[in-house]
Amino acid sequence: MNWNVIAENAPLYLAGTKLTLLLAFTSLAASFLLALPLAFLRNSAHPGIRYSVSTYTLLFRGTPLLVQLFLIYFGLAQFGLIRETFIWPWLSSPLVCVLLTFILNTTAYSTEIFAGALRSIPVGELEAARAYGLSRFKQATRILVPAMLTRSLPLYGNEMIMMLHATSLASTVTLMETTGVARRITLDNYIQFEPYVTAAGIYLTITFVIVSAFQIVQRRFAGYLEPRST
Amino acid sequence: MRILINSACVIALATTFLTPAIAAEKVTIATDATFPPFESIDSDGKLIGFDIELMEAICKEAELDCNIIGAAWDGMFPSLIEGKYDALISQLTVTDKRRQVVAFSDIYDHPTFRFAAKKGAGITISPEGVSGKIIAVQTGTPMDAYVTAHLPTATIKRYDSGSAPFLDLANGRADLVLGYQAQIVHSFLQKDDGKDFELTGPEMTGKDAKEFGEGVAIAIGKKNTKLVEDVNRGLAKVRDNGTLKTLMTKYFGE
Repeated sequence: MNWNVIAENAPLYLAGTKLTLLLAFTSLAASFLLALPLAFLRNSAHPGIRYSVSTYTLLFRGTPLLVQLFLIYFGLAQFGLIRETFIWPWLSSPLVCVLLTFILNTTAYSTEIFAGALRSIPVGELEAARAYGLSRFKQATRILVPAMLTRSLPLYGNEMIMMLHATSLASTVTLMETTGVARRITLDNYIQFEPYVTAAGIYLTITFVIVSAFQIVQRRFAGYLEPRST
Repeated sequence: MRILINSACVIALATTFLTPAIAAEKVTIATDATFPPFESIDSDGKLIGFDIELMEAICKEAELDCNIIGAAWDGMFPSLIEGKYDALISQLTVTDKRRQVVAFSDIYDHPTFRFAAKKGAGITISPEGVSGKIIAVQTGTPMDAYVTAHLPTATIKRYDSGSAPFLDLANGRADLVLGYQAQIVHSFLQKDDGKDFELTGPEMTGKDAKEFGEGVAIAIGKKNTKLVEDVNRGLAKVRDNGTLKTLMTKYFGE
């Protein structure tokens, strides 16, 4: 065992962990904001709107994230035309490509989670809102969104963890997040166990924090959905 | 009687199963097939390249039953050390750091290392000249070690494969790639993608910087002295009978 190498490279791991957190939380925050309206559109009465959203979620849930990342990072760059447009300065940055891919991907999953929860809200809750004379906007913000979110909590917590772990793909396009750091140490020192175990420990710690936070939120906001023992 | 028959069966079984295992001493050799013209995969999924043909010739001369397989670069050295592979051929430069963990065959080539950049980019290869420029290299290679040690003023982008740095040089995400000269010339500059690019900076070998190593050789498990001997015997024959020279001419026109 060669743990000295890990200790010597602690600053690299620190930088890698910061990047992992940045990637995960930026993607999750952006996708949360996007998925809320998309979940309503996904259940729209208008078939055109409904099907365009479901086509998008099918595309991004139906293909591997790594393939999406390579298509956006390397694939788009292949077209000379794109390289001459105003978007190229953005697309030439690996960080932008990675965030764009992650946001598109996790928004697709979150949209389906939220949309599913929306469909499972008992009609009675909506009827009660109508009976009180709430406007359609108020029905959405006061009744539907909170009910949808509380019902999505367990699944959405899972999606957050999956997204955190998916950030490990960013190193394939040169962003040195936690996994990238582990791989670099592997390649420089010809050891595999120590660098990857350290990376695993870092992911486990972050996951533990997310899971604990979710349990608190779940108890606070979704407690009323739990079966009650009297 | 029954015991006799039973033991006869056991022996018969044992011989059927054990004999082929002893006879077929297959040598597993891994290569990172993202490195044309040295090693790559053709459209049929077959391994091709200078190193592949050289290894096949060595195995033939040394009468080894070789199985050359493609492997991911980041797992190659650790897997050799763990014994998953018996040897590696992948333009591996011999360095002190690598000698600590694996054994090497005799050196079969002395590669030249060069930078590639856009034609007329006019980048001087010095810590000042590359300041703020992006240099693309494959992680954990001599090229990575060199730029990390000598050109820290540049932004260094590290890739998993040998070919990805050229993709990002071609599309403008990187300003410079450091590579084997033969790799740059034959797998990039001569292709459509590389027609606007050129070699730049000094020709460098192991004599100029220790990161470039003593030359390239086949890496073999440290305890496997017999295989080192066999490979060296095969390599000597390949050198003597002119095969090595023929391969050099075929691939690099040298």
